Amino acid sequence: MRDYVLIYINGVRHQIRGQQARLSLSNFIRRELGQIGTKIVCSEGDCGACSVLVGRACEDGIRYQAIDSCIAFLFQLDSTHIVTVEGISKAGQTNGVQQALIDCHGSQCGFCTPGFAMAMTAMQENGCGKVVDELRAGLTGNLCRCTGYVSILEAGLTTEIAEGERMDSMYPPDTMLQDFATHADDNMALVEDNEESASRTYCPATLRSALEVLQDWPQAMIVAGATDIGVRVNKGQTLPETILDLNRVKELEQAELVAGKLVMGARVSWTSVESLSRASIPEFYRVLKVFGAPQIRNMGTVGGNVINASPIADSLPFYFVMDAELELQSSSGSRKVSINDFYQGYKKFDLRQGELLTRVTVPLPKERELLRLFKVSRRLDLDISSFTAAIRMRLDGDTITEAALAFGAVGPTVLRARNTEAYLVGRELTEATMLAAGELAVAEVTPISDVRGSEDYRLQLTRNVFVKFYLEHQPDAVLV
Amino acid sequence: MTSVGKPLPHDSARGHVTGSALFIDDMPAQVGELHVGFVGSPVACGEIMRIDVEAALKTPGVVACYTAEDVAGHNVFGLIVADDPFLAQEEVMYVGQPVVVVAAENPKALELGRRAVVIECREQTPVLTIEQAIQANRYLGPVRKIARGRVDENLASAPHRIAGTFKSGGQEQFYLESQAALAYPGEQGQIVVHSSTQNTTEIQAVVAEVLGLGQHEVICICKRMGGAFGGKETQAAIPAIMAALVASKTGRAARVIYNKDDDMCVTGKRHEYFTRWDCGFDNAGHLLALRCEYFSNGGATTDLSPSVMERTLLHGDNAYFLPHVEFTGKVCFTNLPPNTAFRGFGGPQGMLVIENVLETIAEKLGLDALQVRRANVYGVGTRNVTPYGQVVDKNHLPEIFETLAADSDYERRREEIAQFNAKSRLQVRGLALTGMKFGISFTTKFLNQGNALVNVYTDGTIQVSTGATEMGQGVNVKIRQLVADEFAIDPRRVLMMATSTEKNNNTSPTAASAGTDLNGAAAVVACQEIKTRLRSFAAEHLADSESGLVASPEHICFAEGTVHDDRRPQVRIPFEQLCEDARRDRVDLGSRGFFATPGIDFNRETGRGTPFFYFTQGAAVAEVVIDRFTGEMRVLRVDLLIDIGKSINPGVDRGQIIGGFVQGMGWVTNECLTYNDKGELLSHSPTTYKIPAVTDIPPEFNVRMFPNHDNTQNIGSSKAVGEPPLMLALSVWAAARNAISYVKPGAEIDLKSPATGEEILRVITALQQDTEPTQLPGIVIPGR
Repeated sequence: MRDYVLIYINGVRHQIRGQQARLSLSNFIRRELGQIGTKIVCSEGDCGACSVLVGRACEDGIRYQAIDSCIAFLFQLDSTHIVTVEGISKAGQTNGVQQALIDCHGSQCGFCTPGFAMAMTAMQENGCGKVVDELRAGLTGNLCRCTGYVSILEAGLTTEIAEGERMDSMYPPDTMLQDFATHADDNMALVEDNEESASRTYCPATLRSALEVLQDWPQAMIVAGATDIGVRVNKGQTLPETILDLNRVKELEQAELVAGKLVMGARVSWTSVESLSRASIPEFYRVLKVFGAPQIRNMGTVGGNVINASPIADSLPFYFVMDAELELQSSSGSRKVSINDFYQGYKKFDLRQGELLTRVTVPLPKERELLRLFKVSRRLDLDISSFTAAIRMRLDGDTITEAALAFGAVGPTVLRARNTEAYLVGRELTEATMLAAGELAVAEVTPISDVRGSEDYRLQLTRNVFVKFYLEHQPDAVLV
Repeated sequence: MTSVGKPLPHDSARGHVTGSALFIDDMPAQVGELHVGFVGSPVACGEIMRIDVEAALKTPGVVACYTAEDVAGHNVFGLIVADDPFLAQEEVMYVGQPVVVVAAENPKALELGRRAVVIECREQTPVLTIEQAIQANRYLGPVRKIARGRVDENLASAPHRIAGTFKSGGQEQFYLESQAALAYPGEQGQIVVHSSTQNTTEIQAVVAEVLGLGQHEVICICKRMGGAFGGKETQAAIPAIMAALVASKTGRAARVIYNKDDDMCVTGKRHEYFTRWDCGFDNAGHLLALRCEYFSNGGATTDLSPSVMERTLLHGDNAYFLPHVEFTGKVCFTNLPPNTAFRGFGGPQGMLVIENVLETIAEKLGLDALQVRRANVYGVGTRNVTPYGQVVDKNHLPEIFETLAADSDYERRREEIAQFNAKSRLQVRGLALTGMKFGISFTTKFLNQGNALVNVYTDGTIQVSTGATEMGQGVNVKIRQLVADEFAIDPRRVLMMATSTEKNNNTSPTAASAGTDLNGAAAVVACQEIKTRLRSFAAEHLADSESGLVASPEHICFAEGTVHDDRRPQVRIPFEQLCEDARRDRVDLGSRGFFATPGIDFNRETGRGTPFFYFTQGAAVAEVVIDRFTGEMRVLRVDLLIDIGKSINPGVDRGQIIGGFVQGMGWVTNECLTYNDKGELLSHSPTTYKIPAVTDIPPEFNVRMFPNHDNTQNIGSSKAVGEPPLMLALSVWAAARNAISYVKPGAEIDLKSPATGEEILRVITALQQDTEPTQLPGIVIPGR
């Protein structure tokens, strides 16, 4: 049993033990290492100022992605190489991204700039961001209040980082990879028990060990991407004594398309699902593109979005109308539950003591099925939904033979509008039908007013998506 | 080898991109340094019954707790009216108002200590909205008025008359670096304060006042800010005092860094406005008379609110001539954090009202709004006197309007949009051109001054210190360019030093877009004094009795890093050699320059005068598309044309123009402050408060600077650029309104600002609800 987190930061090896492993990465970098280039603004993953690169072993070396360091705990980052703004160029020099930002006036006050430099360097590493739409998509996790972004985009489009500035050149991966491989299979437990406090953080390497931990510590908080708990801790919540971290469990990180189904391990990141669905499930991909931001999608997981049980979780309406199936495992076995039966109330769901969500299986739309997912938020990108919906229909000619309707942000859970579904089946798909369906659906939802939208707004959106769906599927639909 | 006019990078660009530029939270900790925070009022309005810090003091690591009773000097300060308490005493006036300062050895102890403080209040019903304040007759300061002509008469006799009300929301500055200060004791009872402030002099003064020190005992330093936008003009004071108080009491260094949520909850913002308007106009859309009664939500103390309202009145006309006009303004006194400066300073609120009026007139007359704006735009030589009597001199607005309309292909796109809207049932597009005229100068006369210290060293390098504070706007690089050009040397030989009250005293805040105007001009004055001395010295040096050249300072030229006599240009002395020689000859190589803007004055009582040195002008065309079913809006294209004179640094200025525009776009679209009925801010972090993100930037964004050749009064023939472009974004709001007008032509449109998706859908739904309900098959909907 290993009792430390193994982590490299800008090429330097660190072993972190006990309570210290519960520090956020940003606090560790700034306070413990004194590397102050990484800035903290919102402490909730909504501005990107704290972006760093996380490098993880992959088939052909180390792959780097940008993450928000303020909402990542050190214990999640075992066997990774973290690169901060201090580490992307040689001392006293600038890399291609940094130089382009200087030349294009990409910084004004400079507080967001290190974060942008990191997000852009991540794109360079992965060979993307060369065209403006891709570059914009890659920068949605970074807020700037001064520049209006144009100069930053100009910098991004002119950036060329030299071979010597690539992470593999600056930090030869062999030693690190060897170190990671040596430590890949051991279970890890970070335990500290003293007068002041007790804390146990378990980071098992296999599903079996994870289920054993859960059997021993049924009250343990299960952490995967921590994109939600990370925020809550920064805003004052304390972590519980016992944590079960899933980041090292390899069995949970597989995602694939098999036999018309999307099968995702619970710890698959949204970035992986995004690339998997790009060609095969364009409608889901459209939502994933505006789900959080790259930094969030690089950490956030499929299972986390289900277990967080939020009525505004962006993935759920899709699962609801496709009748997705959840696989739940415990030491004593596994069972399967339809997503439509899983939620029982606000943040309440059918998960028994000792059970872990391990897999989500989503049947994909078949031929002659129409699918449309809606995410309405105040801002297009990096915004929590004010309203979500999914409409799936099967047609025979113009007649609706099957209808599934799901709504989010209009009740304590994501919900199916069963009465409206029943109304639709057997009718012709016409504007009048959809207008009527909208009115029926309004009676099935119970939205509240909050900071993201009023009750009236949500009711009106519920009403409106039906005709919108209809018009969007007309061959002569006129759109910008 | 001139550098003025060249797009040199920002002074700190290299430090920014490498993360090595230090902000206050980044400065190395001193031995024994304390972490400082505060505990604020739990209620928006009430009486403090009990403050208990006993448990907090017992928390391990907590060193001290201070309340108003621990303040040795004055606890109440304020620039216009001294009504702003440092720490609340007896009564609390807004949620989160600082009551107790806590100092601790580490962040964790500070957090636990803060949680252990008990503040009990007898809660009273707060007044939160403008409507409630009007009802309760609660105002801050006097009513202000600017008027001309016979308004009632012309309203009554006008061929058309429309009246209405208009609301615009507040806006959070959302500087990325939250309020921050570091203080430590100096010698002889001094206190040194590093503050993220736009106004080092103000921090020096209030810290001295609260601690009971002389101003000579307080040094305030600001190297840079991580954004400010007006939010650190007055409101950097409270955190700075907190740090200074702890440093003074404990003798240890003390640092305050607000977290984003606290910062957003307790500091003031752009003022929300409510306006009653009444206008008369003719068939061509000429505004014959306009009356506006503006009400701003000032919050709990005066802060800068009266000045902000004054600028609203001075910009109620925006770019348009008003023959008969009456503007009055009242600041509402409410239980919100004191609202304060924010880029535009009341100007945007006034200008949005008249742009809304012009759109309304166009809809009423069935004219294109551009036609109505053309009919009203300030003229050249005629129809060019503002309501307060200042002539709009060297006016380029008509030319700007025409150039922009042509460059942006306005007429053709108007046709296209009409056709699209007739066909598309899913979306509706809108187009609008709005004008902008923004007065440059502080409307408080005495603030229009600046001083600068220029130190030339014997190797020909120079340090410049001014009262200007660097918040990202690039004032430093611009001053550096001006100074380098004065001596005709490479700008790399000039460095801008941290702003400090030790070097520059009695400075004005870096605000009102005038940072470069005032401080750059002062730096040039200092350079010229040094040059005068160097000229005399060089003249002697370069005199040549053999060829009959007598020493003549007026023939001495500074060029390309050297100095020569223009009668014998082949003999050149390198600048650094001249400096070395001059020092040995006991010539003073340092100077302090002073500049005061000439010819400006404004009488607040009569509402008349010449408050502005000049106007920055421009116009913008925005095109938007709205989803008819969700209200979601995208900005498709923006074209803007702005006259900023001859740009000192086009790279920096372009950044100000685009950044300002996008910030304004945020104000009129998605930035929405939501409070509950207890006066608690619900949108207090970027999760719930949405400033524009990169994907909100219009895919087509054409930015042009108007080639101005007659602007000579200001430094380097430039014009101020900080605030004006923000107001070009009113075009986005006007375009949204224009799009909605296609939903039901001729109907009244009650669109507020910000035009969020929710607000747009509300207006569209209301317009559609008037139409007959459709017969729905197979169901009966209750209530239909």
